[in-house]
Amino acid sequence: MQTTDTMQTKPNGPVAAVFLAAGIGSLVMGILVVLNEVNADISSFLKFDANFGLGSGVGALSGKATLSILAFLASWLVLGLLLRGKEVKFGPVLTIALILVAGGFLLTFPPVFEIFAPA
Amino acid sequence: MQLSDKELWTLIHGMGLGALFLLAFGGGLAGLWSLRSKLVTEEGIAERTPRLLLGTTVMALVAWLTVIVGTWIVYPWYRAKPPEGLDLTVQSDALRDFPRYWLLASEETAEWHKFGMEWKEHVAFLAPFLATAVAVAVIYYGTQLIRRGEIRRAMLIFFTLAFAAAAVAGLFGALITKAAPVA
Repeated sequence: MQTTDTMQTKPNGPVAAVFLAAGIGSLVMGILVVLNEVNADISSFLKFDANFGLGSGVGALSGKATLSILAFLASWLVLGLLLRGKEVKFGPVLTIALILVAGGFLLTFPPVFEIFAPA
Repeated sequence: MQLSDKELWTLIHGMGLGALFLLAFGGGLAGLWSLRSKLVTEEGIAERTPRLLLGTTVMALVAWLTVIVGTWIVYPWYRAKPPEGLDLTVQSDALRDFPRYWLLASEETAEWHKFGMEWKEHVAFLAPFLATAVAVAVIYYGTQLIRRGEIRRAMLIFFTLAFAAAAVAGLFGALITKAAPVA
């Protein structure tokens, strides 16, 4: 429902897009941290410094960082286009974004991602 | 009195950008918190908005710079591999030049790497994502933000989470540097 305030301001779609994108970037970082522990092939692939010349001596962090930044930027672009000029309910958007961010925090916490490491 | 390249970059990463981040967070948080129609007049909003824009934009830019410098300049020095033949089970003077391996050489210090660095290097990336979202909202709405209570509240939460992620990274960075400096 539009209130007087929302009618007097720009639609919140573009802001919802960047909040959700921040959550997606965070969660992708967490997922990549776990995948790096779980699978040796993925861990090798994530060494973007050796595989693609992105830095030197950074190891798998180069891939985790690059892919999570790309996920943030790509999702921001896509959601930005989808939500451009739209007014959305911001409460559910914030809830989803916070769940994604919480996933990122949780999966980057060593006692959590080490659960997935082979014994 | 001299600083090596490694010490200089470590200083830029931790103290320079870190201090700027803290300053920007303080200014941005105060600006966001007080941006309520019952607290400020129209003139007050117009006067505060540029400062809020500066605080949040600087925080986002500094967060990006910190993780980029930390990951691609300082971190490779931290995880540099010692030459073949060097005993990796003794915290010798020769191993001091290889902080990651020096920490792992003793059970007493290994957790600084296994827990501290492993957490720091990953969670730090959440800070620029979250801080960028806040800065974009301020850039987009400008003075209209005063009429968007739900977005202002979301920004406060994201801003605080960005600070929390950076605080974890900064705290462990300082403690790990104290235990095994990159020099």
